[in-house]
Amino acid sequence: MFQSLLPESVLVLTALILLGLAVSKRVGAVGAQRVAAAGTLVALALMLRGGGAEPGGTGLILADPLAHLAKSVLLVVGFLALLLPIAPKETEHPGEYHALLLFALTGLMLATGTEHLLMLFISLELGSLSLYLLAGFPRTPRAAEASLKYFLFGAVSAAFLWFGLSLLYGFSGGAMLLDVAARLQSAPDAALAFAGLAMVLAGLAFKLAAAPFHAWAPDVYQGAPATTVALVAAASKVAALVVLLRILITGFDALAGSAAWGAMISGSSMWLAALAAVSMIYGNLLALVQRSVRRLLAYSAIANAGYLLVGLSTNHPSAQAAALTYAVIYSIATLGALAVTAAVERDHGDDSRNAFDGLVHRSPLLAVALLVCLASLAGLPPLAGFTGKFVLFTQSLAAVPSHGLVWLVAIAVVTSAVSLRYYLVIVKHAFAGKPESHIEFKKITFEQGLAVALPALALVVLGLFPSWLLEPVTRVISQLAAR
Amino acid sequence: MTPLWSLLFPFAGALAVLLLPARAAALSRVIALAASLGTTIAAASGCLKRLGDTASPVWSLDLEWIPQLGSRFHLAADGLALPLLLLNGIVAIAGVLFSWNITQRPRAFFSLVLAIIGGVSGVFLSRDAFLMFVFYEIVIVPKYLLIVAWGSTNREYGAMKLTMYSIGASALILLGLAAAYAASGSAGFDIAGLAAAGFPKGFQLWAFPVLFLGFVVLAGIWPFHTWAPTGHVAAPTAASMLLAGVVMKLGAYGALCVAMPLFPDGFAFWRPAIAVLAVAGILHGAFTALTRRDLKFVIGYSSVSHMGFILLGMAAATHWGLRGAVLQMISHGIIAGLLFGIAGRVIYERTHTRDLDALQRFNLWKSLPAAAVAFTLASAASMGLPGFSGFVAEVSVLIGLWESYPWLVPLVALGILITGAFTLRALCRTCFPDAAASLAIPVRMPSLTWPETTAIVLLLAVSLAIGLHPSPWISLINDGLDSPVFQPILQRP
Amino acid sequence: MTLLFLTLFPLVGALCLGLSRNVACGRAATAWSAATLVVAALLVRPGMSWSLAWLPDVGMTLRFEADGLSWLFLLLTAVVTLVAVAASWLTGRNDRGYHALVLVLQSALFGVFTARHFIPWFLCWEMTLIPAFLLIRLWGGPAAPQAAMRFFMMTLGGSVFLLVGFLALQLSAGTMDFDSLAALAGEGRLVDALEHGFAATGADGRTLLVLIAVAVLIGIAVKIPIVPFHTWLPSAYAEAPSPVTMLLTGLLSKMGVFALLWIFLPVFAEVLPVFATPLAWLAVATVILGALAALAQTDLKRMLAYSSVNHLGYCVLAVAAAGAAGSARPAMTSAMAGTVLQAINHGIIATALFLGITILEHRSRGRRHIGNFGGLRARMPVFCGCLGIAVFASLGLPGLSGFIGEFLIFNGAFSAVPAATSVCVAGLLLTAVFLLRMMRMVFWGPLKPACATWPDLTKPERALFAVLILLILLPGVWPQMLLHHANPVVLELIDLLRPIP
Repeated sequence: MFQSLLPESVLVLTALILLGLAVSKRVGAVGAQRVAAAGTLVALALMLRGGGAEPGGTGLILADPLAHLAKSVLLVVGFLALLLPIAPKETEHPGEYHALLLFALTGLMLATGTEHLLMLFISLELGSLSLYLLAGFPRTPRAAEASLKYFLFGAVSAAFLWFGLSLLYGFSGGAMLLDVAARLQSAPDAALAFAGLAMVLAGLAFKLAAAPFHAWAPDVYQGAPATTVALVAAASKVAALVVLLRILITGFDALAGSAAWGAMISGSSMWLAALAAVSMIYGNLLALVQRSVRRLLAYSAIANAGYLLVGLSTNHPSAQAAALTYAVIYSIATLGALAVTAAVERDHGDDSRNAFDGLVHRSPLLAVALLVCLASLAGLPPLAGFTGKFVLFTQSLAAVPSHGLVWLVAIAVVTSAVSLRYYLVIVKHAFAGKPESHIEFKKITFEQGLAVALPALALVVLGLFPSWLLEPVTRVISQLAAR
Repeated sequence: MTPLWSLLFPFAGALAVLLLPARAAALSRVIALAASLGTTIAAASGCLKRLGDTASPVWSLDLEWIPQLGSRFHLAADGLALPLLLLNGIVAIAGVLFSWNITQRPRAFFSLVLAIIGGVSGVFLSRDAFLMFVFYEIVIVPKYLLIVAWGSTNREYGAMKLTMYSIGASALILLGLAAAYAASGSAGFDIAGLAAAGFPKGFQLWAFPVLFLGFVVLAGIWPFHTWAPTGHVAAPTAASMLLAGVVMKLGAYGALCVAMPLFPDGFAFWRPAIAVLAVAGILHGAFTALTRRDLKFVIGYSSVSHMGFILLGMAAATHWGLRGAVLQMISHGIIAGLLFGIAGRVIYERTHTRDLDALQRFNLWKSLPAAAVAFTLASAASMGLPGFSGFVAEVSVLIGLWESYPWLVPLVALGILITGAFTLRALCRTCFPDAAASLAIPVRMPSLTWPETTAIVLLLAVSLAIGLHPSPWISLINDGLDSPVFQPILQRP
Repeated sequence: MTLLFLTLFPLVGALCLGLSRNVACGRAATAWSAATLVVAALLVRPGMSWSLAWLPDVGMTLRFEADGLSWLFLLLTAVVTLVAVAASWLTGRNDRGYHALVLVLQSALFGVFTARHFIPWFLCWEMTLIPAFLLIRLWGGPAAPQAAMRFFMMTLGGSVFLLVGFLALQLSAGTMDFDSLAALAGEGRLVDALEHGFAATGADGRTLLVLIAVAVLIGIAVKIPIVPFHTWLPSAYAEAPSPVTMLLTGLLSKMGVFALLWIFLPVFAEVLPVFATPLAWLAVATVILGALAALAQTDLKRMLAYSSVNHLGYCVLAVAAAGAAGSARPAMTSAMAGTVLQAINHGIIATALFLGITILEHRSRGRRHIGNFGGLRARMPVFCGCLGIAVFASLGLPGLSGFIGEFLIFNGAFSAVPAATSVCVAGLLLTAVFLLRMMRMVFWGPLKPACATWPDLTKPERALFAVLILLILLPGVWPQMLLHHANPVVLELIDLLRPIP
């Protein structure tokens, strides 16, 4: 069991080293970042060397294929996030900052590998608390506001989650998801289980930034340091999705209900479908009017949470697998877009669309990477975002008999088409805008180059060969569902 | 050379152009021309081979791709794909030639142009609906960037409008394909397989309009055509040529080869509505073209009008109609390319205006007679005068219409007449103005350059060749229409 | 192949002219059209044909064939074009575009008179449109743009009718070959074919055929023109440069007459009786209104333009009569032979008249108002004589060519449509009135001072007039030279219309 916790241990160890270095004030921003990145890489190597996971596990700490996959993804995401540049105003306490980052990552990783309700809560909150702090790290009013909002909304959602989990515990008498499932067999329509499920869903919707639990997202995306935003946008979302999948598949298969048009049955599917519809419409429409690119990415995150929930609202393994695949693809694309935004911000000092003017002239690499990431987010081929969305929507439609979910898929498809507009506007600024002449541009560093090039490359490769990602995810989810 | 090369050449060319060092940027146009030539030669040799031997199975390539989705990398070159591939190659050559003097970031420009050409080839060759959709969508970003970075009049608006229409239409296609996939029991995306699935009629009734509309928005169906003129006007010459010449054909091709075979019952139900929309497009496009002052707008609306014939042929759905529709795709591709080339490159580069009234002052007939002659011939082709390709196509469509909807014939006849009127109006204003309106002393203009002349002669020759000797093209198209997927939609009067 | 050679010959000339630089275009074009005339007269013989498979899978074959009738029209085309080109050259037109377009027009006309299938026929029919349009627009008078536009649009409108009509025939009869269609019609099967082809509409085959015939007739009527489709004509004829007007009236209007005779009659034989009376009265309207309008004109060109309308009305009358159910074979033969003669002769006579106008315009630097001229007889006696012959031929003086055609027409038409024919005879009088008035105003009376310095005809002009007058005199005294070629075809046609029991 502890062998399966080796990667997390490495992360915690690295964090402690960083804290030690911080106390002795022997580490600069770049140094701390490199140490953290190195720790993440080592953890990733251990993760991958561990090969296939142990199928068993106690449930408190699971090492099943899903956990293995999710943790690998989180480590990759963490590594990519750590390549992002750190602004000077964020570097007063680099050691502590990066230690917290690693803690957050550890918490999220642990959350993906447990079926124990208490463990679930603790590890998620470990991640979240670290992120609240991280969001407020820069001494700017904006960051303070972001952190406070994030914390306040987070606290409420944690309360929801906590309350829901305790209801479930009271309902099933056991702290494991399997206990809940077993109890549901005998009492299929217990009000207590419904209430618990609803609370848990609300709590997780907050982590996913699904509307109407999204209010923190724009401010955090805009005010927090880039690396934090990367974790919030990518890692937190993937982790929350995996947790949600586990709860739905392992615990509440019996309470799925149905979201089919004209044949709705109350249950997780119906509620998730409602969340999905609201998120997609709200996120995409609000994104249309943003001028700040970070805020735009926040609304895009809300919208994308909606797409993910479409897949989940089918309660069918193929669509759920498609949703997880899309979550990974979305994370990669968002990381790339954030990396470019951070690079632009470093020179311009702000992240408005006009800051992107003429990007192609000063750095074709940044511009092309931006194009690739945004096009992928918008769902254009031959990029992974296109295939991801296509598979997600197709499988969702196919998962519910007689096209019951066509209403939701139609919303998804149409709003996804609308999303192209706001992504394209940025692309237009980057490719057809006139660069401002008075700003001095720094050369992009190797790390920055890596941070934009790796996601872009990954998106192209996964777009051409989607099976490379789709196949393992499908296998993992169907294994989970078959249990 | 297999037809696969017509897909590989453009993409390889695009990559090669991108990788050129900055100091060798001038080479990019040569590479682009070579890639287009390669595309054309591959397509032409495919056509010739198919013509010589229609009995053997068509060339095809079928590789494993995304098993989770049941999608395969399946290409095939039948009698419908081959002539359209050839059209793509020819328009590509002309487009590159008309852009010969691009100096603003030529590498990016030509790689985007080649990406469009490659995407178009991919759509024509695909036999897997998902693969086709991928290629279909690949074209969107290059289109946008070409217009936004190299375009003219109102380019940001035009580009955004065009792109949003494209993506909106794609959303419908996605929905339609996903629905078909779901209804077929997740059997995959092979077009022939889906066509043979035999979907229930109730399902087809709503799935067909979704999928069909998704495709034909890109073909400029009325009333979803407004992106076309705005986009064409904003686009740089090569992009307008490709847009009107081949990209609009993608929509028609998709409707013909995917939407209709997949849902024959839905098609049968909606057929009259399509016919009416097509006629509305023909008339509305023609009447609007009659009132515009911007030459490119006139040509843009004429495209809408001409694309109406394609839809009309498809709605007629008899052998004559379908054959006319495909022929019109080819014919309009050539003629629209020619018109946009002359208006956008030959005339605009020398006069720096596209306003019909302003153009009168230049009196091209006196100052640039070669251009006037070329534009006159192109106009004749566009009016559908016999001898040019448009006539054969329109006649075929009209016969199909007589067979299916004789009551629409008078309206279409009116459309042909108005087409004559607006073409003539544009022609007179640009090339043969009244003596009073033109400057007393003709402006001296540089004569036509060799790339311009070559491109014009090439396109005119192809149009004339089709018009005077259409039988090889018809044989190919007949061969394509013999495919089993078309049999359920074919009406037999 | 010789036929193809003849058809392409002017086109090649046009191409050479268009691509050449700094050539004396007028002279070159004249030489080229003279060569064309030689080819048409000596190399081409009735009975030649060539064909090309166009859409083999539906049996569409482009077929061209020259019979005796076509050959006459080919010769007419060659002669009139030669005169027009030469007249242009003599009056100082040396644009290569102009001459190239005239040659393109000639090529198209050759095609129209020999095509035996709708597609090539329509191709050539439409191919005349753009050159004629440009010739009027670019080299015409001050109001030429509007005139050209109206000419183009009305003709195109007519063409659309033609196209739609023939496509319906293709659909039901499965062919657009004129001879096949005529054969079908002769056997009385076209009505059945239509009824079968359009079974879905539930319409009666005869009604459908009548509708189609109306569509085709409209297309042809615009070209001839028949009242009320003539409105483009006066302004187009008047605004076009006079040599181009020669082509318009001498040749383009003959396309319509030829189509009426050679296509409309045999293909729609089954429903002709329906058309006989309306067509006859339209002919009457054409004759009378044409003449009355000509009377009212003060512009010489407009007057002659209406005179053309008037003269071609007789051809329409003859065709109507030939279609009437009651007419006997000899009457039909007379009417149709008369139509051919009238068409050919009017072509020559109108060319001569407009050659006169060309010369007047050239001398007066572009004036055409009848009041600008007067007393020219004294100043230009040769010109006066030449034009006089043309005018008298035009008003149908026996012994000149105009008479014989009109005589045959009235002879043949009277039995079938007596009332209409009688009214038309009255039209002859009107014709005489306005033509003689023109003669009087231009040549007699006191010499206008503006005209006092004008020279008489030059040698090349005399040569042109000589050729035309020869062609007016010869058929007048020896109509057999035309009838010899036309009659076999006419008889063949009549056999199609009235199968020998």
